[in-house]
Amino acid sequence: MKRLVSLWRNLVHRNRVDRDLDEELRAAFELLVDEKVRRGMQPDDARRAARLELGNLESLKSQVRDARAGAGVDTLVQDIRYSLRLFRRAPGFTAVAVVTLALGIGANAAIFGVVKSVLLDALPYADADRLVRVYGRLLDGSAERGPLSAGTIHAIAERQRSFESLAAFDSARDGVLGGDDFARIVRIAWVEPGLFKTLGVSAALGRTFHQDDRASGLVPLSGGQLGPDTARVVLLTHAAWQRLFAGDPDVVGRDVSINGIPRTVVGVLPRDFVGPMGQADFYFAFDLGPVLANPVTVRRSQWLGVVGRLKPGTTHEAAQGEIAAVWADLAREYPEDNGNLGVSAMPLHDAMVGDTRTPLLVLMASAALVLLIACANLAAALFSRSLSRRKEFAVRVALGAGRRRLVRQLLTESTVLAVAGGASGLLLAQSVLSLLRGLARPVLPAYAELSLDPGALLVTAVLAFSTGLAFGVVPALSVDRVDAQGTLRDQARGASEGRRPRRLRGLLVAGQMALCASLLAGAGLLARSLWEMATAPLGFDPAGVLTATVRLPPRDYPTPETRARFHEQLAERLRLLAGVDAVAIASKVPTVDPSRASFAIEGAPPNAAQPFVVFASVSDDYFRTLRIPLRQGRTFDASDRTGAPPSAVISASMARRYWPPGEALGSRIRIGPDANSPLVTVVGIVGDVRNDPARPDAEPMAYRSNRQIPTSRVCVLLRTHGDPLALARLVERGLAVLDPSLPIQQVMTLRAAVGEGLAARRLPVMLMTAFSALALLLASVGVYGMFASMAAAREREFGVRLALGSPPRAIAGLMLLQGARWMALGLVGGALGIVLVAKLLRSLLAGLPTFDPIALGGAVAVLLGCATVALLIPLRRATRVDPVAVLRAE
Amino acid sequence: MPGRRATLLQGTLDLLILKALSAGALHGLGVSRRIEQTTGGTFAVQPGSLFPALHRLEEAGWLTSDWQPSENNRRAKYYTLTKAGRRQLGEEAAQWNQIALAIARALEA
Repeated sequence: MKRLVSLWRNLVHRNRVDRDLDEELRAAFELLVDEKVRRGMQPDDARRAARLELGNLESLKSQVRDARAGAGVDTLVQDIRYSLRLFRRAPGFTAVAVVTLALGIGANAAIFGVVKSVLLDALPYADADRLVRVYGRLLDGSAERGPLSAGTIHAIAERQRSFESLAAFDSARDGVLGGDDFARIVRIAWVEPGLFKTLGVSAALGRTFHQDDRASGLVPLSGGQLGPDTARVVLLTHAAWQRLFAGDPDVVGRDVSINGIPRTVVGVLPRDFVGPMGQADFYFAFDLGPVLANPVTVRRSQWLGVVGRLKPGTTHEAAQGEIAAVWADLAREYPEDNGNLGVSAMPLHDAMVGDTRTPLLVLMASAALVLLIACANLAAALFSRSLSRRKEFAVRVALGAGRRRLVRQLLTESTVLAVAGGASGLLLAQSVLSLLRGLARPVLPAYAELSLDPGALLVTAVLAFSTGLAFGVVPALSVDRVDAQGTLRDQARGASEGRRPRRLRGLLVAGQMALCASLLAGAGLLARSLWEMATAPLGFDPAGVLTATVRLPPRDYPTPETRARFHEQLAERLRLLAGVDAVAIASKVPTVDPSRASFAIEGAPPNAAQPFVVFASVSDDYFRTLRIPLRQGRTFDASDRTGAPPSAVISASMARRYWPPGEALGSRIRIGPDANSPLVTVVGIVGDVRNDPARPDAEPMAYRSNRQIPTSRVCVLLRTHGDPLALARLVERGLAVLDPSLPIQQVMTLRAAVGEGLAARRLPVMLMTAFSALALLLASVGVYGMFASMAAAREREFGVRLALGSPPRAIAGLMLLQGARWMALGLVGGALGIVLVAKLLRSLLAGLPTFDPIALGGAVAVLLGCATVALLIPLRRATRVDPVAVLRAE
Repeated sequence: MPGRRATLLQGTLDLLILKALSAGALHGLGVSRRIEQTTGGTFAVQPGSLFPALHRLEEAGWLTSDWQPSENNRRAKYYTLTKAGRRQLGEEAAQWNQIALAIARALEA
């Protein structure tokens, strides 16, 4: 710093420095003249002599200037040049050091970028730490973060005192934007008008909702239509404004047609806004009044989310306690509606982080372990390098190099290494992040902006720097303290590596092996559990099945009859396509967030709480198309037409769970919350289906015929021979013939849909596997380095031993004995690490024992295998030392 | 290698300048005369090496300078040893003694 200041002074105040120098030299000249006059010279001669003695003043001045500037910069440049020369001479060392640093810094900076944006960054709402999300849950454990009924939300809002405001919202649904020739599927979120005020968000353009924007027109799950769609004003998200309206600055006030009904855009939301329900394109304001007035939907339809803003000074704990108390009252007052349900409140941030917290923390820990291993490697490499340069240092000390100068040289070297490693790490982190942006987007919360975090970069860089400094400079200092003569003599005699450095190296390797074992075990466990999930039978056969989804707008398909006709015509048309073996239509593709419905068995006490099962409406060929086996009774057929006695097919686990053995078939149930709805006869029992491929068990499930329940959401499933995707165009064309205004969405293979269900599980496994591969590589380099330097240090000794007739086996034994101690220590530490890691990961290992022997055994075997390969190379070299060559080198 | 030789000589000059200033402040010419005097005339430091060296040492923080009236009642730039300079003198002197001893021993052997 001081150097920079004086450099600045020299460069900028050059005139002043020059004037100063002029004066100094003139004074010196006068002094010289006076001196000569005093010795008896004539003044003129004295002047001439003095001028001669001082020489060319201009060149003297330029020499002084150079000296001034050079004193600072020169040595620095010299140091850097010298460092670069050294690195060129030792490319292996340099590459290892730089790559090690880059990997450590890169991995950490990238992962921390993710962790920070997901876990640490504030939500895009004002005073976001005062926001609370309230969930409903099923007491049987099948749904933890579920929706609530309008009645429950209304009651909570009326009875609570902790919140300034509460606002309900629906999950985003599909809608159709535009007319006949320009139809786009868009995501619509219905919310209470107060949501934006509760979140503390105001519009970027126009306004948010007023109370009188409220409209009806929403269809709650398994309820009826609640009046016509009367929503006339809508809000637009920033992304949708850009995507659908090309950022039109006059979009506010523009008329748009959504689901065939004209509406007006009244505002655009800010760029970073994401609703608590996730991504949406349009917001509609709903009025819950009709829902609350309807005795069936008020408490029996659970379909709403709710957020509240705490009053200033109210704690989350107090609010949670109050909500629990309110719920206890509600459960007592309405046992038949609420008996099976619970509520839970949590900070909105926790709610939006969701299930990503544990995997992210695991990944962060893995990246930190990789950094530690990298630092250990760097330390070992620098340390042994410093030791091997003792001779060079001694020579330089003998030639008059100051200790300061040596240390500065080493500092410069470490800094050059760290800068190179850090820069490459930065590039690596950038590319990892852009890779993650693509891979991780679907599994991370919607608000997360993946970006490099300067703080993380700084921390990792500082760690790497200090490792470099600590292990690069400290040995140099200790060497410097040794007298030059001694070191030079010592080196000439070829002493073995000292005890202390050897122990340090051994400890570093042991630590690396322990860390690496833990990481490998973690990756092994995660990979095993993913393998179990992916290979366990799903209960249906996704291979060769193409899926596509359309949504029938209520304006064009207002009645069940019109929808049923569409279902039938579509299936008929698609069945004719070449290459199609079977066609099914369903309300949902299995594996994509299932709908649940409550049900009651006929004769159950009217006040009993109703259990929930997964529910779908399917066509006759559904079970045949997906190859879901029939266990008992029959599946749907033409006899299940509209007007015929209602029928249902249930899954084996539903029959097992809710009926005594053998009694399910033929019994009658009510599906849905309405106690006056018609009774449905169970006509068949089919095999279980795992709707969520990330869950090891199958949830109970009920089906009804799409003839009797023709939904507006139409999922097509085609079993094909050949490549399913080859049929995509034909399916689209078939749809267009039936109704050209229907946009088709989500054309994909069923296998891809299943894969999406596992995406959240796959990402941590992939990343952790990558980290452990990295760790394995680094640890192998560490083991190799330890044995190589051991072999190099004892080369002469081995040479002598071989010359005296010792068999190579004995030499190998000597080395193994020396190194194996540290590796064994590393494995003991690794065992501790493995226990910790397995405990940490337990929540992510669905259906796998915590200490899975295959995963853990595999991890240890891989580690030992790599370590063995790494130590064999120096071992071979040690046993093949040529005694003659070694002794002659003496 | 000429570089090594220059370093050695430069180191010697620095050492001599620091030593000359250890007794008190001197101006440039005074430093030169003091070195001549103490080395019995072995080293006559030419201004061409002296002034760059003084400025380099000042830049390194081992000397400070200020303008003072000189013995001929003019103004001259006087150099003073800093604390760091004194420490540096000690280190360089010790090193020099070590090397001198080593070389002397080597020559006797």
